[in-house]
Amino acid sequence: MVPITLFLALAAILFCIGLYGVLTRRHLVIVLASIEIMLNSVNINLVAFSAIGPFANISGQVFSLFIITVAAAEAAVGLAILIALYRNRNSIDVIKHDLLRW
Amino acid sequence: MTAQMTFFIILALIAIVSSVLVMALRTISHRVVSMAFSFFAIAGLYFLLGAEFIGIIQIMVYVGAITILFVFGMMMTEHRNIGFGPDPRKIQQVVSFLGVATLLGIMLYGIFSMDLPTTPQPYVGSVEAIGLELYGHYFIAFLGSAFLLTSALIGAVVIARKEADE
Repeated sequence: MVPITLFLALAAILFCIGLYGVLTRRHLVIVLASIEIMLNSVNINLVAFSAIGPFANISGQVFSLFIITVAAAEAAVGLAILIALYRNRNSIDVIKHDLLRW
Repeated sequence: MTAQMTFFIILALIAIVSSVLVMALRTISHRVVSMAFSFFAIAGLYFLLGAEFIGIIQIMVYVGAITILFVFGMMMTEHRNIGFGPDPRKIQQVVSFLGVATLLGIMLYGIFSMDLPTTPQPYVGSVEAIGLELYGHYFIAFLGSAFLLTSALIGAVVIARKEADE
């Protein structure tokens, strides 16, 4: 069986890739995609602990189902906001939307 | 090397490489396709862990629904324009790269110095066990996610609707 530390390491790497994408990319669709990658890496952790963790039980899989639900809702609302933003401001460059920045 | 280890390495490499390509490719549609590949590889990891139900849900929701949603979001906004011109945030890029690399280093050090007891047999959760837990222990959370989905549906329709001509 694959040791659980490898799954945790893979999830950490994916989380950091997503975090770097959120912090540096300028295209709003790619920022949302990076957030999805981060949520997926958390799911890997939960399912790995649920299968081969020290106290393996079913709770991790139930929690990952909830996270998938929240991620789907987040993607739907996020893309709706994106479309409304593009219609009003005519750009999806993150740098141009700095109205609330001090 | 066991077959499971081989499959783990292949799937992990696909997941990491296609996640990096989401950041690195030039065309926006290629990036979305690469994101779908990353989700597929992660679904394969769930199958490897014996969580078939979560793997199927991952393929249905992420690869089937969210990727299509991203494709539509990409199509309805500016997708021909690839670059936005020179980036005025060079310092921020360097700082965030250093910060994320430090975070990754700390996390990997913590993970590999952790002393977890190894389980001889992996726990295989059936769909029946998931259902019993979902409708027993987590029933309130289940109702909450139902409310969340309803409000997200209504909110997405209201936000993205074309305003009537005033």
